[in-house]
Amino acid sequence: MRADPILLEVIRNSLQAAADEMSVALARSAYSTNIKTRLDFSCAFFDKDMKLIVQAFNQPVHLGLLVFSVPAAVESYGADNLQPGDGILINDSHKGMSHLNDICLISPLYYNNELFGYSANLAHHVDVGGNAPGSISVTTEIYQDGIIIPGVKVLKNGEVDNDLYELLRANVRGKKEFGGDLRAQIAANKLGQRRIKELINRFGIEATTTMIQEIYDYTERRTRDAIGGWPNGEFSGESYVDDDGLDDKPIKVHSKVTISDDGIVADLSNSDKQCKGMMNSTYPQSYSSVMYPIKTLLPQDIPVNDGFYRAVDIIAPKGLVVNCSYPSAVVGGWEVGLKTVEATFGALAKAMPDRVAAEGKKTQLHIAFGGVNPQTHEPYVFLETLAGGYGGRPTKDGPDAVQAHYQNTENSPVEELEIGYPVIIRKYALLPDSDGPGRFRGGLGLRRDYQFRNHEPTVTILADTAKIPPKGLLGGMEGRTARFILNPESDHPVPLKSKTTFTPGPDDILSMQTPGGGGYGHLKERDAELVLDDVRQGKISLAKAHGVYGVRVDLKKGATTKAAIEHPPRHLLGSK
Amino acid sequence: MILTGYRLGVDIGGTFTDAVLMNSETGDILFSKVSTTPSEPSLGFMNAVTQVTKQIENLSVEHIIHATTIATNAIIEGKVARTAFVTTRGFRDILELQRQIKPKLYDVFFDKPRPLVPRRLCYEVSERLTAEGEILVPLNEADVRNIAGQLIEEGVESVALCFIHSYRNSDHEKRAAKILADLLPGVYLTVSSELSPQHREYTRASTTVINAAIMPIVARYVKRLEKDLTSKGFPQRLYIMQSNGGLMTSRNARAKPAFMIESGPAAGVVATAAIGNLLGKEQIISFDMGGTTAKAGLITRGEPRITYNYEVGAVATPETGLTKGAGYPLRTPVIDLVEIGAGGGSEAWVDSGGVLKVGPRSAGAEPGPACYGKGGVEPTITDANLLLGRIDPSYFLGGEMKLDVKAAERAVEERCVKPLGKELSEVSYGILEIANANMLRALRLVSVERGHDPRDHVIVAFGGAGPMHVNALAKELDVKQVIVPPSPGLASALGLLLTDLKHDYVQTFIQRTDSLDLERVNDIYRRMEEEATSLLSEEGVTAQNTNIFRAMEMRYVGQSYELTVPAPNVELLQKDIPAQEEKFYAEHERSYGHATRTEPTQVVNLKLSAIGIIFKPTFRKLGEGSTDPSSALRNVRKVYFRESGGFTDTNVYDRNKLVSRNVVRGPAIIEEVDSTTVIHPNYQAEIEGHGFLTISKE
Repeated sequence: MRADPILLEVIRNSLQAAADEMSVALARSAYSTNIKTRLDFSCAFFDKDMKLIVQAFNQPVHLGLLVFSVPAAVESYGADNLQPGDGILINDSHKGMSHLNDICLISPLYYNNELFGYSANLAHHVDVGGNAPGSISVTTEIYQDGIIIPGVKVLKNGEVDNDLYELLRANVRGKKEFGGDLRAQIAANKLGQRRIKELINRFGIEATTTMIQEIYDYTERRTRDAIGGWPNGEFSGESYVDDDGLDDKPIKVHSKVTISDDGIVADLSNSDKQCKGMMNSTYPQSYSSVMYPIKTLLPQDIPVNDGFYRAVDIIAPKGLVVNCSYPSAVVGGWEVGLKTVEATFGALAKAMPDRVAAEGKKTQLHIAFGGVNPQTHEPYVFLETLAGGYGGRPTKDGPDAVQAHYQNTENSPVEELEIGYPVIIRKYALLPDSDGPGRFRGGLGLRRDYQFRNHEPTVTILADTAKIPPKGLLGGMEGRTARFILNPESDHPVPLKSKTTFTPGPDDILSMQTPGGGGYGHLKERDAELVLDDVRQGKISLAKAHGVYGVRVDLKKGATTKAAIEHPPRHLLGSK
Repeated sequence: MILTGYRLGVDIGGTFTDAVLMNSETGDILFSKVSTTPSEPSLGFMNAVTQVTKQIENLSVEHIIHATTIATNAIIEGKVARTAFVTTRGFRDILELQRQIKPKLYDVFFDKPRPLVPRRLCYEVSERLTAEGEILVPLNEADVRNIAGQLIEEGVESVALCFIHSYRNSDHEKRAAKILADLLPGVYLTVSSELSPQHREYTRASTTVINAAIMPIVARYVKRLEKDLTSKGFPQRLYIMQSNGGLMTSRNARAKPAFMIESGPAAGVVATAAIGNLLGKEQIISFDMGGTTAKAGLITRGEPRITYNYEVGAVATPETGLTKGAGYPLRTPVIDLVEIGAGGGSEAWVDSGGVLKVGPRSAGAEPGPACYGKGGVEPTITDANLLLGRIDPSYFLGGEMKLDVKAAERAVEERCVKPLGKELSEVSYGILEIANANMLRALRLVSVERGHDPRDHVIVAFGGAGPMHVNALAKELDVKQVIVPPSPGLASALGLLLTDLKHDYVQTFIQRTDSLDLERVNDIYRRMEEEATSLLSEEGVTAQNTNIFRAMEMRYVGQSYELTVPAPNVELLQKDIPAQEEKFYAEHERSYGHATRTEPTQVVNLKLSAIGIIFKPTFRKLGEGSTDPSSALRNVRKVYFRESGGFTDTNVYDRNKLVSRNVVRGPAIIEEVDSTTVIHPNYQAEIEGHGFLTISKE
């Protein structure tokens, strides 16, 4: 006998609203750009059996993260050791978390002195110590990544443990940000708890708990029902990380997706062993990375909760790059995650080619810098991630300059950045001709040029896709790789590695150039009118239109003539 | 300006154009409702005006006020003027790059909003300022002249000019504007530092471009209205409703059309504030539910809440809330509304998991709800209301339209009852409950998300469907009192007649509060005030009818979102600073539940609002009676209320016959031509002296 489908929908909406409110409170009062502008955080509620009730997403990257992290943290701390008003803080990658910058605060939620569940939020802190500002750099052990918080009671009976707080603060660079962000995290959990209590008051504890179980079952039914319409079979895909920052060899991520009447199994066993450098993903990161492509193929209104995860299993043996073991460094783990997304999309493209895009920029593409601000004489640290081209799609071009798949972090406005930090952005622009050609071309990458004013900061680039370009799909061609160049317009431009920490000289310009998306379908099938428009808008050069797309464009007349090009010259494609 | 005679308000909506004519002295109201004419809205406008004005002989109209969606529609439909964008070298692509985010998180087929200016019409000028406003690269005037030549060749109608850090130092922008204006006579020009001198380049550029792109369209439209009105014998000054809830003259609307983007919906919130003022209520949630959407707004301390973070063309859905990046950012003040796709026409359906859903699809006006008998087969909220006895099938729109109960039954039966295996009435009630849950989300978003507890507010409900749902919503939110104005379907048009002139100014000025350069702060306020008062005086407002409000946007040093706090309306002195900081802490505490008094704060924007008070018409008083409403009783029919266990004998009253002091006890239905009010069991409606229904618990 199914529960009342009407009450179910009413309670589900109310739970979602409570999680959404937590999100707003966190973003609005946080200090670091990561949280307040780039919205790199998520908020969720769990029941007392540690099942995910509801999550508010700003970053789909957290899709499969909290569902593992929170139970692991509570289990390792011991649920019995928690009292009302307590809060555990954790970022330990090897205890079920992601990179150390993601700090999670978990608070038990009591209703009439009975444990009801937990509220949790996870936020990307701008700095957690480690080798370089922003806590990103080339590392080989997790200790170098930053301070490890193994799950400690930072809140006791509603009060912050000041000794602990000072210990943590002493280990991070952005002290003001750390304090402000933690305060915002605490306030968000409090607000979420208040909303859940109001909700229980309204519907009663009995109805609420029963309905939550029903919501899981309902979600599982919807998910299985949708997957039931997919073609059964075994499909494989793979994608590559350029290197681990130490060795020069590519790292393979392989995803074998089995679709059957029992659900989906994603087997990552054929991926490479974990590497010496920091390009390693934890199991929850890999889980998120598999769930993202699957979610894009499901009806959009299926909610995300415990029931959503029941139809999908992933296999990722310990010791592989997709499930690294202690004490490996993990700060590049999300780069591996994005390749897991692409490999899984690659597998699913074989089952449903009309519903999947070609590879996009497939790199998180971090830049971080810090030092002492020459105007204020105060230490500072700044971090951001840059967008690139999205892959071409079955019915249209890939959008220019957007974040990749599960990544959806906003840019920092140039003016806001220059007001707050000793840097000038000299150029922020699309990169013409960076598209992967195809029937539907990949999106263009972008270029952002930084000039550091009157001081010598420590700068880190942590990126990828500088050697192995985004692949095309169904005959589409590859997009342009990422490039990192010091003083690009000077007589002596210096190419930089995709994973490097360095100190630029005074007034040096660092040009970050991001990848273009891969194309979808063969470029012979591209509509000449689309090529004409791209040339008109300056997104594609006349040379590329002619040499690659085989379209001779007469801009004055707006006319085109098309000839087949069998082997476009390599220099016009832009990939290395 | 003291007005006598009549005021005329015209509100153009998606389906109907409403005109309201009010006698300023007696408060008597006449109205007309005609079909909107989307291809040439001025035709509908003049039809409505003719219909309403012909009812009175020797009419003397003092004032004509208009709300229109022409600006928004031009943008949403992509029918904007041929516009160019001119910016600092290195930043040609800011309209393309936007925020580099995807408006839909899990959709491979998402699109970013298409820039209003194509890339080929975006131009770069060599010049660059630092964040301190110092010159890093001087303005290359030859670049500007060169661009002017290209613009002529391209046949551009309008130009948006936006340089990096021009909010800090506008010299380069002003100089470039002068050159362009000289070389491009007849071409419209919008300068970012004049329109919206606020930092954050993409949002400022977007605001400037929106203004430029609709300027020629709005100018033509307004000129046409002025001409048509004059030829029909109404040469009076035409006022336009702005998105900030104030009026501006049609002349100013031509220069700053970005300020009238949400002209239409603003009127309803202004009406709500005016009703609150009349009834002595300061904390109000406005709830406007029509055929396709429901809109919730917030009034605090008697003033509509204003947002500076609006996106044109983005609509919230119950599933995802409002997603950022879905529209064109606008940094002019807009009355803060949460709009959700739930109206009378929203369709009910059962998903593959066996759960009942409502919306976001709507049957719209064509074919409309199944009960309209125009071929609709999908069950809607209106059908559910009909089947539950809340709507009288023979008295819809005062009996002008007969509703088909059988068709409604068939639709709910086929689409929902069969797959759910439940009873018709239970399912119909379920449709309302789910629709209400969606609307609750909108009401909570507009209040709680902004840090306001709905329980401290009253709700004012209007729109055709608002009064039908509001009692149930108030019950869920534990709101103590609901107010339903007379003729709820005309509330927005009426709001136009209750509006003051208003001009908003903002200037980014970033400095730590503890080391504020007071001389410069006071100078900026003074300049804004001079500009505002001279504009108001041009518009005919005297000094004693002018009110100035100063405010600051503040944040902790390091935060990115600002909170607005009032500032003294006189010169700011050093001794006022601690009080300013204290106001900020209090606002932070109220908004986010915490505030530290040890972290430094900073001022980000200085703001000034100038309000020109104009004579307000009085509301007509109703006759007084006893508490007994029985003389207005129309009939008794069965209406479904879950609280009373199902269909219950319910008194149905004629609103026009209710008089002051009458008390209608729930369950009850109160009918009038353009709306139906539902009173739930254990609630009662009291008729206020001007005819407002106030609904509260017995």
